[in-house]
Amino acid sequence: MNRLRRALARVPRPALFAAAGLIQVALIAAMVIDRASILRQGTEITLDTRPVDPRDFLRGDYVQLRYQISTVRLDALAGTPSAGKDAPLYVKLTPNPDGFYAAVSVHLEPVPVVGREVLIKGRIAYGYNCGGDVRIYCHSADVTYGLERYFVPEGEGRVIESARNQGKVSVVAAVTSDGRAAIKRLLIDGKPVYDEPMF
Amino acid sequence: MFDRHYRRRLDADLVGWQANGTISAEAGDAIRRALGPMPGGIGVATVVGIAGGLLIAAAFLAFVAANWSAIPRVARLGMLLAAIAGAHALGAWFAREKRDHLADTAVAVGAIAFGASIALVGQMYHLAGDFAAAMLLWGLGALAAAALTGSRGALAVALVAACMWSGTRAIQFEDTPHLPFVAFWLVAAALALLWNSAPARHLVSIAALVWWGVNGGDVPNPAFVWAAGTALLLGGGLLVQARGPEAVRMLGEVGAAYAAFATIPVLAFAVFDVSGTPAISAWLIVCGVLGVVFATGASALMGRPSLVLASAAIALMLVAVGLSHAGFAGSEWLTKAAALAAALCLIVSGMLDDTRARVIAGWVALAVVIAAITWTVQGSLLKRSFFLAIAGAAAILLALALGRLRPREAER
Repeated sequence: MNRLRRALARVPRPALFAAAGLIQVALIAAMVIDRASILRQGTEITLDTRPVDPRDFLRGDYVQLRYQISTVRLDALAGTPSAGKDAPLYVKLTPNPDGFYAAVSVHLEPVPVVGREVLIKGRIAYGYNCGGDVRIYCHSADVTYGLERYFVPEGEGRVIESARNQGKVSVVAAVTSDGRAAIKRLLIDGKPVYDEPMF
Repeated sequence: MFDRHYRRRLDADLVGWQANGTISAEAGDAIRRALGPMPGGIGVATVVGIAGGLLIAAAFLAFVAANWSAIPRVARLGMLLAAIAGAHALGAWFAREKRDHLADTAVAVGAIAFGASIALVGQMYHLAGDFAAAMLLWGLGALAAAALTGSRGALAVALVAACMWSGTRAIQFEDTPHLPFVAFWLVAAALALLWNSAPARHLVSIAALVWWGVNGGDVPNPAFVWAAGTALLLGGGLLVQARGPEAVRMLGEVGAAYAAFATIPVLAFAVFDVSGTPAISAWLIVCGVLGVVFATGASALMGRPSLVLASAAIALMLVAVGLSHAGFAGSEWLTKAAALAAALCLIVSGMLDDTRARVIAGWVALAVVIAAITWTVQGSLLKRSFFLAIAGAAAILLALALGRLRPREAER
């Protein structure tokens, strides 16, 4: 302990303060760069949104988004022991004839995809705790993908809410090969209303 | 701060002792020379300076918030990064000027700005990741700053963020006990030992209790979860303060003091009519038993029989909580008897050790238990009166026994 204290005392104090600040700046920068890399490298998919309870739709200045793929069937997993709410799930998506991506299967580990298929990583919000004393997967689950919030300038959320209630809102997301996703565009009636820049 | 109070009192005493001849003038001067100059505190100018800095920071934040959405996103990101870098640069400047309190505050402000930046970047870039992960990131950044700069304020920020991370995992994700927090806490405790700092000791002790508190948050009656945590911290604290370097012993002392106060809500939960059977599992029983073993070990190591009473208090607290809602005839009276005995053991052990925290905690616990017995509606009023009379008689017998033992100890 004393050796460590002496070693730290030998380093100039301004250098230690600079290192502390740099670590925090680097962590924030990493958040932004990681998202930019998803937008740059990810495969574009279009997702159809679903109605959300209006009371829960607009909280503060962000829009709560819910997708067709937010509820998935767990066919093969149903009845098997679940790893809990925080365990990742991999949902294989494929485009419908209308262009929107839909879930075709759910997996606990990444699986290969072919053609226009995309594998997106999510976390289970509901559907992991069926059964009595032991947690087992239910027949269907609510899954979040990190695409459920879209922050808008103050006062603009109501317009999107109204459009969403009429089934006019869709989202273009970028999905990387390891399943991470980020919102790239928000569309109303198929026309982009918000286009996300890299930075 | 406490050093300055002690020095003022000692200086006053030295003057008195020299005046009445208790010590010679030379001896008094020698003591003063051995103590060295009065330790520096936070001056009025520094306090006013901190207040002024905080007001300017608040004004700047309000101004930026008013125009936030009108500022281009990259500029907003730049402002956030500049706030973090600026706070640390200011801290470095204060450190170079030997203004340690201001340097500590600047790093703490930087750590808070870092947390705010995580939230705002999440908003600006639509990152809907989970709240717990953001709290962990905040905690790690603040902990790194604390480790590098020695900022107690940054350590406080780190532990608050870590408790929020662990609490979210425990309650929202039902991930109990949330063991990854222990690794985070051990690093914080290592810093408290490295610095041998009183504020850091208090912070890590409080964080340990908060962690145990939130780990019981997802069950209807968390009394046994809390009891096991309190037992482990109290017993562990007593054992740690028995041997080892001063920093370790001081950490044990502070941890044990906080754990003593944590017995109050635990005993209250045991004796008040709380819905649901206490959640008891094997790992909790192991933690509770370890607490008893540690306290007994501390008694053996330090050669203090008084710590056997602290060990008994822990065991009785566990029994009280374990028996509450046991369901067999008379279990409620056994619970109350065990809770009363636990509080009494805590008081007596604290008095024998001259440890104020255990004495105060024991008295408050005793008051809470008596209040519960008097006001809860279990049994008839006559039965409750009979029970309290027996408890009072047992306490008087204990007092007589202690009265006989104490002079003998004093003679030794």
